[in-house]
Amino acid sequence: MMKLVRSAFTDIGDGIRMRRVWMALAQEDIGDQHRRTALGPAWLLINYLAFAGTFIVIFGQTAQSPDYPAYVAIGLFVFFYMIEVINLSVSLFTREESFIKGTTLPLTVYIMRMTAQSAIRACYAFAGCIALLLLSGTPVTSFWLFSAVGLLLILLATPAAITVFATLGAFFPDMNFVVQNITRLAIFLTPVFWVHQNEGGIRGIFYYWNPLTYFLEIVRVPVVAGEVPLRSFALCVGMTAVLWGLAIFCLGRFRKQIVFVL
Amino acid sequence: MVSIDVENLELRYRLRQKLSFAPTDRRIPTGGRIEAAGGRRYVTALDGVSFSLQAGDRLGLVGPNGAGKTTLLKVLYGIYEPTGGTVAINGKVDALFNINLGFRREATGRRNIELRGLINGWSQDEIAARMEEIIAFSELGDFIDMPFKTYSQGMAARLAFSIATSFQPEILLMDEWIGAGDPAFQEKARARMKQMSEDAAILVLASHNMALLQSTCNKILSLENSRVKCFESTETHFQKK
Repeated sequence: MMKLVRSAFTDIGDGIRMRRVWMALAQEDIGDQHRRTALGPAWLLINYLAFAGTFIVIFGQTAQSPDYPAYVAIGLFVFFYMIEVINLSVSLFTREESFIKGTTLPLTVYIMRMTAQSAIRACYAFAGCIALLLLSGTPVTSFWLFSAVGLLLILLATPAAITVFATLGAFFPDMNFVVQNITRLAIFLTPVFWVHQNEGGIRGIFYYWNPLTYFLEIVRVPVVAGEVPLRSFALCVGMTAVLWGLAIFCLGRFRKQIVFVL
Repeated sequence: MVSIDVENLELRYRLRQKLSFAPTDRRIPTGGRIEAAGGRRYVTALDGVSFSLQAGDRLGLVGPNGAGKTTLLKVLYGIYEPTGGTVAINGKVDALFNINLGFRREATGRRNIELRGLINGWSQDEIAARMEEIIAFSELGDFIDMPFKTYSQGMAARLAFSIATSFQPEILLMDEWIGAGDPAFQEKARARMKQMSEDAAILVLASHNMALLQSTCNKILSLENSRVKCFESTETHFQKK
């Protein structure tokens, strides 16, 4: 067990030391994704605003809540970030096959590269989210700091989630399709645009048993409701710890085997 | 002192093939021996490989396809971790495998030099200091600012070789591709490799090109079915043929 943990931390340590590599590669990724487009990464902001605007206009009238624009703006921002990370993670090692088979870079470099890339991409949506909050008249309070802590916790969980899903995707190629289907449905099964009002039934089940709910709440509740969702924070800290435990196991146990399954 | 000491090297890995909903898993190894044990299938890619190289040695790896040449190079480079035996390497290693491995297709040649430099652990100053020399040696001219994906195989090989040899690795591993590029560049590449070996570096070159091996190498390691068939001087090896 100690050998496994040591192996994982060796990879993580080597990866952190090579931060110049993954930061440079992350910038390349963003550039590549928007090469030859007139608006470049600004499309990320436009995509977000188009989605958020549509949800606010279509569902805002029935929601009967003045906070609904802020509710959807934050919900979509956090949800899109998490779903994108999960979707892209599953095929991470397959996409990096050329580098994994041609260089001796630690896997953490690819994981952190994707973390950096996702964080940079999310910054565009974040700008849109802040704009929507201000335009909708959401008061800026000290509770926003708790939302910032929530975002940091999500960022902390990101490399662990990437490691787990990337390892799963490498050993189980069908995971790509499994995850794609689940994440497509997830927007309906997560309280992104619908509001949970303590009702039971199917909606209640998806509200309570969907882990994404709590990551949404630790960012959304402080801004929208002006309170700190302690239970959600506790659950998210627990889930992040579990994710890191799994990530360390995956790295320690499989990091030298990944190259054989690609 | 630069050296490579390989003792009873074994590389055996499990063929994972049940984790798919597909009726048959199409993942198959490119070489090695497939063996079944306890309901699982394993590939023995290298078995009992031993040899030793000192500064100035130029080793030619020969053997049929799937014999283990590329696998051995990848073990020496550190991509594959041995499952048995020992590999002791003293010296800074660089490698040239498939020329498309480790390059970004969308990035320009110049950006790829920067990225390869970062991957190899060079500082920004070191990259900047070597940049023009690498571009000049690769003879890519204005193409250096074109995306890598627009390069021909020969151009890509020239860039890969120029980068890999610019920092004078103490141990250089090469797989096949050195035949790429026009005759003039091949001659230039051969001269640089000769200079490297005179500077007490170790070269390990896997190839089917016997003329190239005969003119470049002083030792031959012949692999067959994942095992060493013979390890001898180039002279002895080609006298037997």
